[in-house]
Amino acid sequence: MDMNEIKEIFFQECEEQLAELESGLLKLNDGDRDPETVNAVFRAVHSIKGGAGAFGLDDLVSFAHVFETTLDCVRSNKLEPTQDVLKVMLKSADVLADLTNAARDGGSVDEARSRTLIRELEALAHGEVPTAAEAPAPKPAPKAAAPAPVIEKPPVNDEGFQPIPFSFGDFDEEPAAHYVPTVQVDFKPKKDLYAKGNEAVLLLRDVSRLGEMSVYCDMDSLPPLDKMDPEEAYFSWKISVTTDRGEDGVRSVFEFAEWDCDLDIRTIEEDVVGEVTDDEELPMQPVPFDLSMLDESGSAAGGEDEPAVVESDAAAAVAAAETATKVSQAAGRAAENAKAAASAASAAQASQTAAGQTIRVDLDRVDRLINLVGELVINQAMLSQSVVENDTNGTSSINMGLEELQQLTREIQDSVMAIRAQPVKPVFQRMARTVREIADITGKSVRLITEGENTEVDKTVIDKLAEPLTHMIRNAVDHGLEMPEKREALGKNPEGTVRLTAKHRSGRIVIELADDGAGINREKVRQKAIDNDLIAADANLSDEEIDNLIFHAGFSTADKVSDLSGRGVGMDVVKRSIQALGGRISISSKPGQGSVFTMSLPLTLAVLDGMVVTVAGQTLVVPLTAIVETLQPEAPAIHSFGASQRLISIRNSFCPLVDVGRILNFRATQANPIEGVALLVESEGGGQRALMVDAIQGQRQVVIKSLEANYTHVPGIAAATILGDGRVALILDVDAVVAASRGQSLKQDISLAATG
Amino acid sequence: MASKKAAQKNLSLAPVLDLNEATVLHKQLMGLKGNPLVIDASAVERAGALCAQVLMAGARSWEEDKQPFTFGKVSDPFMKTMQLIGVNIDHLLAQEARQ
Repeated sequence: MDMNEIKEIFFQECEEQLAELESGLLKLNDGDRDPETVNAVFRAVHSIKGGAGAFGLDDLVSFAHVFETTLDCVRSNKLEPTQDVLKVMLKSADVLADLTNAARDGGSVDEARSRTLIRELEALAHGEVPTAAEAPAPKPAPKAAAPAPVIEKPPVNDEGFQPIPFSFGDFDEEPAAHYVPTVQVDFKPKKDLYAKGNEAVLLLRDVSRLGEMSVYCDMDSLPPLDKMDPEEAYFSWKISVTTDRGEDGVRSVFEFAEWDCDLDIRTIEEDVVGEVTDDEELPMQPVPFDLSMLDESGSAAGGEDEPAVVESDAAAAVAAAETATKVSQAAGRAAENAKAAASAASAAQASQTAAGQTIRVDLDRVDRLINLVGELVINQAMLSQSVVENDTNGTSSINMGLEELQQLTREIQDSVMAIRAQPVKPVFQRMARTVREIADITGKSVRLITEGENTEVDKTVIDKLAEPLTHMIRNAVDHGLEMPEKREALGKNPEGTVRLTAKHRSGRIVIELADDGAGINREKVRQKAIDNDLIAADANLSDEEIDNLIFHAGFSTADKVSDLSGRGVGMDVVKRSIQALGGRISISSKPGQGSVFTMSLPLTLAVLDGMVVTVAGQTLVVPLTAIVETLQPEAPAIHSFGASQRLISIRNSFCPLVDVGRILNFRATQANPIEGVALLVESEGGGQRALMVDAIQGQRQVVIKSLEANYTHVPGIAAATILGDGRVALILDVDAVVAASRGQSLKQDISLAATG
Repeated sequence: MASKKAAQKNLSLAPVLDLNEATVLHKQLMGLKGNPLVIDASAVERAGALCAQVLMAGARSWEEDKQPFTFGKVSDPFMKTMQLIGVNIDHLLAQEARQ
């Protein structure tokens, strides 16, 4: 694996971390104060920083660092995550994403923006945090280029650091002989640490065993006796330990406690420590002792209390100054930190939810597998068909074996499809950013509410969903929502709401985008359509038809063309991309109350469970997901309605009868319903229709072969497939047929209506 | 120092000062508040940070009440634990306990 591949993995992980970060921040924004959420956010930034350090991505590291520092303040409850704070943080998350992208793809980022944010973040971390409580030297690191002396006051002084050095009898007389790193640990246990039966004393003992340790116990947060909770954690420690096992050794001590405490482990360069000696007069209490007392054995080996004073008193002070300039050196270690953090995080998760392990697989490989499975399904169908044709008694062992084979192929196919299924969450999260940015540019205040983020859909669908969705969100915020003042004047909440919902319905995924804005100005749309010669001036259009005009190419209702939208390449492009996915888009709008765009997309683009039917001698496949039930119509149940419409009465309710053969022009006259079979289907609008076909051949899983790619779009037909006998069968587009039965012809369907 | 009506109290610490003992110890100390206190830590074999917290909080409260709060006898493990976790109790040690 070469460096580039590792880097690629890092960027993939970054994407996940960024998603985690954003969702965490949004949760906080919604008032979630779960420490685990804050931790997750912190971890995400921390991991990115760590990885970026390993690859020498300095911009990313420095920004992530400032971000992390501020998050740390939130994590340690020094900074209340108010809306204002979170606004800055969300923006920072965006910048972090930009920086990550810039690092991967090259290109530049808006430096002014990141600088402003760095300042804001620092102000947040600074403004409300008492200096003493702050971890030493997190501040200067972002200005990694700045020389160490920028820190006028080593924080150690403020804290009254009291290093208590001690040793194990024969410690190295000449530490300078070889490099022994000094590791600085800020350790603040949480209540959970004790509650889980862990003990800070034992951790400190283990650290002390690594090497020469000084410790300072911070008791500042200890409340008076009558106000304290005896099981709460109040003490925190600053430890510096000189050990040849380095940071890793120290980290391994805290391995099992890492997520039950706030922990900061840094390495300080030993040689520099030597140079700065007694500049600072630190109150030092050398307390030598023998640790054998604390061993589990409890052996009472008498300690000879010889004071072993070590000249590392200034270590901590120098540490602070040094950290600033050592960012790049520390980068490698930061990567390890990140790894340790990540593994600890996953360990924690595993223990809580027994989360499964994952592997990364190239999408091409999955696609290849899916294709092969598709072929396998066809082949298996062909095989069973020929066996059935050549086998007269139908109970042969071959037949039984084939049935098993069928089940197996079926299972394989389901499993392979499940590999591709992904929640729509990442796309929705990207939308959150879009909303924020557009809201910023337009000066509107917008709240994005997402629902059903975990709805799963095929990866291809997800990938292709992002672009049309972005278009639509932009439109919704830019055109749909009014300015805050206007909203207030109308008695609405000045903050506009855009609601993005995903759900499964009848085997498809339905994505709804609703805004509570002004709705479509039908008068304006109509006028514009007349101006653009899209419709005749005297055309009589229903509201729905007018609404659908916005899906026409070259149509924009915004008064002026803005940067965001309104160049007339909006909704027609959206419609085309949705259609290319085998989906449909429709709009419903109420003046003054907002608009709802509904997209319905197939869950997968590869296979389909279908009912194979015969219509006028043709074999058609009706998607099984659309079918509610099948029934044999009886003469008394059929009622005529109007000139050519017929209804069928099913359990005391009437349902329009749709003659599929007639609508697809397979035959010139209406079929006799009594001779055929009715398929009760549920259409997009929610209503039921009875599709009339001549006969049902059976149910089969078919592999979808795009008609558009191989031939051309055929109205009323969604796609094609190859049946077991090698013949091509067309897959019916139920909604298009139902829409056509409402009086619109299929031709009109493509030219005007959006529900096509 | 001690107020006239307050009689000196003694408190012997349990051998194991763990999570459970922290609550017990806290209750005991609360019950002794306002009285001069001598703590006997000679039996302590194992001390945890939570109990150290309770003791330190106690020491502060006693200081506020201007009542003496001293460790009459301390065991080695107790002393060493306190040193290990950086809690200095030297000033709380009774004369005879100092080495």
